[in-house]
Amino acid sequence: MTDVSPTISIDARGISCPGPLTNLIKAYRKAKNGDVIEVLATDPGFKSDVKAWVERTGNELISLAEEGGVIRALIRVTAR
Amino acid sequence: MTVNVMPSKVLIIGGGDGGTILANRLVRKVPDRVEVEVIDRSDLHWYQPGFLFVAVGEAEKEDITRPRRRLYRKRVRFTKGEVERIDLDDRKVRLKGGEERTYDYLVIATGSTLNYEEIPGFKEAVNHMWTFDDAKKLFNRLMGFKGGKLVVGVGGLTYKCPVAPLEIAFLADEFLRIRGVREKTEIKYVSPLERPYPPRLLSKVMVENMEERGIEPVTYFTVDEIDPERKEVRSMEGDSLKYDLLILTPPHRGADVVIKSGIGDDEGWIPVDRYFLNVKGYDDAYAVGDATALPTPKTGVVAHFQASTVADNIAYEIMGESKRVMFDGQSFCLIEMGRGVASAQVSNYYYKDAPGLIPSRVLHLAKLAMNRIYWTCILSGNI
Repeated sequence: MTDVSPTISIDARGISCPGPLTNLIKAYRKAKNGDVIEVLATDPGFKSDVKAWVERTGNELISLAEEGGVIRALIRVTAR
Repeated sequence: MTVNVMPSKVLIIGGGDGGTILANRLVRKVPDRVEVEVIDRSDLHWYQPGFLFVAVGEAEKEDITRPRRRLYRKRVRFTKGEVERIDLDDRKVRLKGGEERTYDYLVIATGSTLNYEEIPGFKEAVNHMWTFDDAKKLFNRLMGFKGGKLVVGVGGLTYKCPVAPLEIAFLADEFLRIRGVREKTEIKYVSPLERPYPPRLLSKVMVENMEERGIEPVTYFTVDEIDPERKEVRSMEGDSLKYDLLILTPPHRGADVVIKSGIGDDEGWIPVDRYFLNVKGYDDAYAVGDATALPTPKTGVVAHFQASTVADNIAYEIMGESKRVMFDGQSFCLIEMGRGVASAQVSNYYYKDAPGLIPSRVLHLAKLAMNRIYWTCILSGNI
């Protein structure tokens, strides 16, 4: 577990593809370097989608975990 | 259980398809028990999916508009006016000019508004088809296009009709082929996501069709700003593309009245119960269609099903019946692909992988049929 606190939280539980990633990108548009974005999602595809997005955009995936069917991603914004 | 004897006052703000279907369905279900009024600032109703066909010269204004008053059943009162303020706590609505309305039930069906400011350079540089005038302008640009770089795709991330950018990419390809300039044209389709068409099951079919038609997908391209002087669109990922013609989805937000009344989120979308559509915290106010903050696509079909749900539940409540129906997040989008075929995307709250239907002539004919039955079967609130 990590004790990094998010500065922006997105609750995308119950939203199907591409909702969670779209919400992340919308938050990213308004974010600045140093922000930590937390995304909660239940869409199983979000795990691979967010990994690919972070890699492609050059931001940092602090953690990606799943518990009780809820995926929690913590992303540090470094590429704005 | 008590049954009201006085007619209930149902006030509907917005006469798009959600507001219209709801009004007509409600007076059909409980004709003597309701007084229904619809307020809209325009007396003309637009069939918005028709803008796509306007953009490629296949529809004109008269094909996709009707005078609003002709679309309502006799018992629905239509008022042309602009709502300035919604006060949910006092159950009051104020119109421009100072007139006020009270209600027993309120339905907010105020749709969405274009928000060009979100992307610098958008207004000056981009052609699109999210209004009739813009669709006409796009048609003229396509008619005059002599070849070059066409960049098409997703610009604003919240926009009406998720499949529309893909539809215009396919139709522009076909249009330019017919005009004989396609060989001199390079088409790139931009998307901020990993797949140009996000739902996984239909994605493969869409990518194959794009490849076959020479439309190059450019993924992870989140439009950040546009430089109209240099004719260049730049992404948040640090890439840029030159264009001669740029067709992108405009960013949308909720209606001004929602924002001014403080009942929306930071983009002006109204938080509602996902099954019953009541505005959170209220049992006498509902929102339907684009106006809601639900994660459903902003499309007419969603507005239609939501309007039916709310109309039926208001009718049950007025009749003193305990029965209720639930909205299941259902959407069904016909995707026009040119060459006489269309495909379709189905989704609801429950499918993890939303199914799609492969391209066929039948679905294209269904799309054309919808352009007509919208005015009769759909808006009447019968189905």
